[in-house]
Amino acid sequence: MTQMLSPDMTMTETVAEKTKIEVKNLNFYYGQSKALKDITLSLPERSVTAFIGPSGCGKSTLLRVFNRIYELYPKQTAEGQVLLDGKNILDRSQDLNLLRTKIGMVFQKPTPFPMSIYENIAFGVRLYENLGKSEMDGRVEQALKRAALWGEVKDKLNASGLSLSGGQQQRLCIARTVAVKPEVILLDEPASALDPLSTAKIEELIDELQADYTIVIVTHNMQQAARVSRQTAFMYLGELVEFDRTEKIFTSPREKRTQDYITGRFG
Amino acid sequence: MMALCVVAAGIGLAWLALILGALVYKGTAGLSFAVFTEMTPPPGEAGGLLNAIAGSLLMTIIAVVVGTPIGVLAGTYMAEYGRFSRITTVVRFINDILLSAPSIIIGLFVYELMVRPMGHFSAIAGAVALAILVIPVVVRTTEDMLNLVPNALREAGAAIGAPRWVVIRSVAYRAALSGIVTGILLAIARISGETAPLLFTALNNQFWSSNINAPMASLPVTIFQFALSPYEEWQQLAWTGALIITLTVLGLSILARSLTGRREDR
Repeated sequence: MTQMLSPDMTMTETVAEKTKIEVKNLNFYYGQSKALKDITLSLPERSVTAFIGPSGCGKSTLLRVFNRIYELYPKQTAEGQVLLDGKNILDRSQDLNLLRTKIGMVFQKPTPFPMSIYENIAFGVRLYENLGKSEMDGRVEQALKRAALWGEVKDKLNASGLSLSGGQQQRLCIARTVAVKPEVILLDEPASALDPLSTAKIEELIDELQADYTIVIVTHNMQQAARVSRQTAFMYLGELVEFDRTEKIFTSPREKRTQDYITGRFG
Repeated sequence: MMALCVVAAGIGLAWLALILGALVYKGTAGLSFAVFTEMTPPPGEAGGLLNAIAGSLLMTIIAVVVGTPIGVLAGTYMAEYGRFSRITTVVRFINDILLSAPSIIIGLFVYELMVRPMGHFSAIAGAVALAILVIPVVVRTTEDMLNLVPNALREAGAAIGAPRWVVIRSVAYRAALSGIVTGILLAIARISGETAPLLFTALNNQFWSSNINAPMASLPVTIFQFALSPYEEWQQLAWTGALIITLTVLGLSILARSLTGRREDR
């Protein structure tokens, strides 16, 4: 048994895994200033990848390229390739709304829509699927269960989503994302606005979700990255410094900059 | 310093109290059932304000029905689709000028635009003048209220695959609803007391008329005409009309306030 779990075995496993997202020579600009410099990395399917690094290193920017959410704002441009199952999502022919149903996103601050708990989840489902009442009820229940929120809200599905606590709101947002059956879930510092107990619940949830989804999490909290992820990317000043298995990054990083950051010498 | 402030506040409040007091005292004296059921009388006879009240209601409704969609859509463009474009800055500047334009100018503009070509005064011209006053108020509040909706909410909407217009309709509008409605109520409050733009457009009508292509009575213009007259019955009706308008505006302001308050509670 112990043999099976040796780092070497895991390593071979990782290599053999199917790549879900492949980033090739990605550059990103806010107007004239370059925020991502020639990023290349591959994210394996059905596992958690963490992006860490000091503020302004580009980790959130990179995450926001994956669902092209940056395009809501002018003067933000991406160059290079981001392949989802081999297909370049930066291609102009890519349907943005369809892309975002495949790649869901949960934000730093909980963002429940100003509607009931039930509607918060049904809203996204209704956009692309035509479900009957009982099917929709089932889907809402399933999503809330998946986000470990069902027990707390099942008696008040018609209450406003805004009436929930911060931690519950964040799980509602995860439920809403899961409900549209994405393949990838992007988490942008999902627990940084939450108390420790809610944070623990979210981390537990991430651990369960990786059985079905490819998860990418941006976090400021290195312990969190170490706890939840299988691979970790360390970024600094728009560059990808090091990308490896999480235990490797946290125990014996190749780069000195990574070492300095995880030991708290800068950042 | 504080004493001066208190005195200044006291003076301001005192005038308000005096005006309200006089209105209530003189206005309620003539308040009767007949005011709401009878037409404006010829000089020296008893009557009511029915045609003026109905005319004001009709023109206000038309103005709001015409002005609100234009205002809301323009505000939506500025806050959503055109948030980062130069046109928005220009439109906002022009809108602010329009917002503070003297209403008599609007009246003269519509006189040139509609009354002269048509050859006669009409209720529809009055309604258009009022609509022009409604639009900038609604544009401003709609834009401001939509700008208060956090961008994170728009991103969240887009992130589950909702097209832009669905995000605006189902998320942004919903979040800004009470603010936008408040803006519309304030616009109604503003136009319900306007006299100058109606003098040049709808003029007045002593009789009942539901023809929007003909002159039509309105409360403010009737008050203006009756208050200037030497006839006691007319003067009394002017006081009563003034009281009705004041109470209506007061009611709308309270409603607007309570809507805003509810949003802040949440």
